This record gives sequence, structure tokens and C-alpha cells, in this order.
Amino acid sequence: MEFKVKVYRFNPEFDDKPYYKDYVLEDFPGMTVLNALISIKSEIDGTLSFRRSCRSAICGSCAMKINGISKLACKTQVGPEIEKFGIIKIDPLSNMPIIRDLVVEQEGFFDKIKEIQPYLMGKSNVGEHADDFHALKEGEKITQPVFFKSEFRNLTGNNDTPNCILCECCYSECGGVTGNKDYLGPAALAKLYRYSEDPRDNDKNGTRLVNGSKPNRMWDCVHCQACEEFCPKGISPVKSIVKLHEKAIKNSINFSNGAKHIISIAKSIGETGGLDEIKVALDTGGITGLISDLPMAFGAGLKGKIPPIRLKLIKDMEDIRLAYKILDLEEK
Amino acid sequence: MITYAYYPGCVAQESGKELDNTTKFIAKKLDINLIPMPEASCCGGGVIDGFDENLKLFINGRTLALAEKKGLDIMTVCNTCTLTLSEVNEELINNAESLEKTNAYLAQIGLKYSGKVKVKHLLYAIRDDVGFDNLKQKAVRSLRGVRIAPFYGCHILRPSSIVKFDDVENPRGLEELIKVLEGEPVSYVRRTKCCGFQTILVNEAASTSLAGNAIFEAQEKEADVMVTPCPLCHLSLDTYQTVAAKNINKKLSLPIIHLPQLIGVALGGDYAEMGFSRHNISLRSVMAKIRQNEI
Ligand code: SF4
Ligand code: SF4
Ligand code: FES
Repeated sequence: MEFKVKVYRFNPEFDDKPYYKDYVLEDFPGMTVLNALISIKSEIDGTLSFRRSCRSAICGSCAMKINGISKLACKTQVGPEIEKFGIIKIDPLSNMPIIRDLVVEQEGFFDKIKEIQPYLMGKSNVGEHADDFHALKEGEKITQPVFFKSEFRNLTGNNDTPNCILCECCYSECGGVTGNKDYLGPAALAKLYRYSEDPRDNDKNGTRLVNGSKPNRMWDCVHCQACEEFCPKGISPVKSIVKLHEKAIKNSINFSNGAKHIISIAKSIGETGGLDEIKVALDTGGITGLISDLPMAFGAGLKGKIPPIRLKLIKDMEDIRLAYKILDLEEK
Repeated sequence: MITYAYYPGCVAQESGKELDNTTKFIAKKLDINLIPMPEASCCGGGVIDGFDENLKLFINGRTLALAEKKGLDIMTVCNTCTLTLSEVNEELINNAESLEKTNAYLAQIGLKYSGKVKVKHLLYAIRDDVGFDNLKQKAVRSLRGVRIAPFYGCHILRPSSIVKFDDVENPRGLEELIKVLEGEPVSYVRRTKCCGFQTILVNEAASTSLAGNAIFEAQEKEADVMVTPCPLCHLSLDTYQTVAAKNINKKLSLPIIHLPQLIGVALGGDYAEMGFSRHNISLRSVMAKIRQNEI
């Protein structure tokens, strides 16, 4: 079968602006998109640039957008793509500057990975070396111990984050990064969670969680679920991010608006069974938040959209109170 | 007649009342019997597991058990409610330990869950249970000539291991619906992207730029109106549209309509009763376009 490959082309040395170039190829059973690109480069057009190495979905080099979605070219077969879209349209990854054709600038992505300190910190705080421990000085400190650590061994059984091949598919699809170029993004935050759970790590002052709670980090996730959906290695960074949220709140690391937001929602449900939009907005941003939202509040107010100040309780509200009691969440 | 336990979610009962009212209106027209759930709580707005994972299980397990007791499936009109209830449902069906601890709580309030309930969003309830043909037969107004940009939002599509209604790479549900109502679906890239709602109170500039750029793209493609199946997307897209325009420094003025309002128009609904005056961005231009078909 003949099929068409439409490839994004841009060489800033010669081209004023990007354009698409079409190539026609003959497929073979099991042909991958990477096979197609390699045959274009070796037989039709040697000027086409793209990254690749292992050809077996393990090095993470060949990520690109195939028919609009970030995928590994070596893991994506031509057949099903043609069946669904009738064409193979290839673009460079999103959320990253383009160097040339399908090659993107990865430095920003890797800087963010470095930012979460992807290595074990300090020495063991158990046994005879306990006194050797020096906590990291940077960041604010908390007095509460970071718990959950002992659970790491149970977690590692299904903990997927160490399988990350740093391919950037999640980063390219991430709504949080699209809206905010400084947001750390899914892969880095999944790693942050993985290190914060590692029982060998000696971050006993919770530096990781405190730093991770600063702006542009764990609370800037928009929960779009794209990272889980499109990770070629079956990792769910967003699940790790939610666990980071839970862990931060359980350790009273509540200074971020994101934490305040969730606590306020939980409080509202615990009190009324429903979500009090106005109270949540107030609790989250404080007065400044409400003032900055005045145009919105005003617009909504004119249309009678401001929700009532006090919600009425749902029926059988005591059921919900009991859930909070059983889970020991009443004080939070 | 099809019967569901109806779970409108919080926004449709508070700031987005027009969504709830219009859903009830179209349900009547389409012979869908909606049984109210006054005991149901908030699902947790898609973030409650960041507070306590078990709380998410318990309160949503309770909602599922309430529907099971009535012997009914749940119908939702909010993407995030749909995903949250579906996630908990999958967890309780597939993880015996989670089911056991949830049932231990439910036993204390006289309930039990065994995994029989299905969670369906209005869009796919109409596609799969009512049938688009049936809807077409009942339509009395045509949306001919109206260019409608479908905005899916995230949680009705992703993760597709949990919400399995449509093709996550190339969803068709909204486009098919628009065509059934004789409207013209507008094709644009951001139709499956995020509206940014979850961080609107955390980082407003970043959050609203997502909605803003989607609106801008649809405008460039000459959309007359954008339709969304999610009230949270609606807040980002409509209520915050003026803020978004300022943040991305572009001129935005695109009416945003709730899914049941679009269907309601076709079924002959009264614009005022469907809350067409409750939106931030006026729907007058859309109504005028539709009226042209009636002359
Ligand atoms: S989490 Fe998945 S998608 Fe993201 S970089 Fe790692 S392997 Fe790639
Ligand atoms: S869920 Fe969060 S981290 Fe994952 S892609 Fe969306 S915004 Fe990014
Ligand atoms: S070439 Fe290594 S992952 Fe595709």
C-alpha cells in the first residue's frame, strides 16, 4: 500500500518560515513511523533531521507528534495510523523550541529534571551513622516528620516512575506547561514523588515537599490527564502529583494556594456535602484573589450567577460527617 | 423510557443552574426519566484525592451505592464528576481491598456497593441509549448554517483507561451530535485540550491562557459558538473569557453554550427558560442565526 507522509520542515538557516513537505512511501507489514522516516532520509531526502537511536522504545529519542499526538516513532506502526487518519502527519514536539525540522531544544526539560534533585540526599539517619546526617539548608523547614516513607517498599511493587525514559511525550502534551513555560511538568514531578518516597533518601526535613510546593511546581498541574494518557511507558505522572499533594497536606505544608484550595474544598464538603464556590475562592486566594477576580465576580453577579453565600446541606449529611470521622479528617 | 439516577454535580446546582434546568428540560423531551439524588455529595471536584485518597473512595462509593440501591445507572452532566465517579467505580470493581474498606464505611450508614452501576455522561447517554436518530426525529429547530466549535474538555476523554466513551485521539461524539442537529462542526486543534480550570485560583494568567487560546483558535476558524459538555470548562471559557482576553492580549468574544442548551434549542426550548441570558458572553448573535432558519 502506498501512503503519504506529511512532515514539518524548518531550517532556520535557510527558511523564512516552517512548511510541510509530502513524501510517498510503500509500506510493509509492521512498518513503524521511524522506519518510514529512515527510508525518507536514506532514499528520498537526506536533509530531513530527526532524533533516533535504539529503535526499540527505550532510549526516548524519537518522540514527535504523529497525527497530532506525541508518540515514539519507533513504537508507532504506520498501518493503524493510516487506518484512522489516512495520512502520517508529523510535527516536532510541542512546548519546546524547535531547532530544526523534528529536532527540539531539550535543555529546558532537562533543567527541570535537575531542579528536583534526582538523586538521594544525605546519609542514612538510622543506626550508627545517624549523627552524620546533615539536612539540606535550602528551602523552608518544617518540624513534622515526613511519614509515608516506610510504605515505599509496598509502593515499589507497582510504582511505575522509575521506568521513565525521559522521552518528553508527556511534557509535550502537558496543559500545565502550555499555559506556563516555567511549570516543572509531569516527568520532573513524577521523579520528585519517586525520590520523596525512597526510604534511602534522607530528606527528613521535608525539603523536597516544601520546594515542590513553591510556584510553578506541583500545584500548577491542571489535571488534564494528558501525561497519563500519552506516556508510552505506561507511567501516570499525574497520579504521582496527586500523591505529592496528599503528602504535602498531610505534613501541613499548606502555604501554597493550591494546598489551600484543596483544603477549602474538603472543608466545604465536610460541612455541607457540597462545594461552596465563593468560600473556596476566598480561602484560596484570600482577599487579593477576590479583588483580582472582581471583573469576573462582577460579570457573574450581573447575570445572577453568584452562588448563594450559604449552601444548604445535602440530605443525610451525617453520612458524610461519619466518613470524615472514620478517616480522622475532622481537624484538617 | 430510560431511567437514570441523576447526578448534576455542584456547579450545575449553584452558579451554573441553567445547565441543570436545561438538562431536565431535554430529558423530558427525550423521554429520559431522571431520578434525583438529594443525598449525593460533591464528588470532590477532581482534586479531593490530593487531600485524602480514602475520602474520595468513601464519598463517591456512597454516591455509587445510592444509585445501586435504586437499581439505576448514574447520568452526569459534568466531565470532572464523570471521571471521578468512574475512577472510584473502577477502583471498587477491581481492587478488593478498596471495596472492603469502602463497604465497611457504607455498612455503618446502611449501604453496600457491589459494582453494578455504570456512570454515563449526558452526551454519550444520548448517543448510546436515546440514539441520535431518535433525537433527530424530535428536533423542531434546525441549526443549519451555525458554525459550532466542539470543546470536549479533558475528563470526558482522558484517561481513556477509565472514561471509555470516545476515541481519545480523535473523538467524534460532539461532532456527530452537531451534525445530527444540522449544525456545522468547526475543526480546530484545541478541541481536546485543557480549559485550565483546575488552576484558575492558583495561577490565573496561566490557567486562562489555555481557555483563551482555544477560544481564539475557534474564532479564527469562524465559529459562531462553542459548545462544551462540562460546566467547569464553561466557567473558564465563558465566565472568565474577559479575563482570558486581557491575559493573552487578544480580542475574544465567542458565545459558549452548555451541551444541553444546544440540544434544547433544537428541541424547541424557550431561550429565557434555558438561561440564555445568564452567560457572560451574550448568546444574542447565535439566537439571531438560528432564527434565520425559522423564517
Ligand atoms: S513519564 Fe513517560 S512520557 Fe514522560 S518522559 Fe517519562 S517515559 Fe516519557
Ligand atoms: S495532568 Fe498535570 S502534569 Fe499531567 S499533563 Fe496535565 S497538567 Fe501536565
Ligand atoms: S529510537 Fe529510542 S525510543 Fe524510539
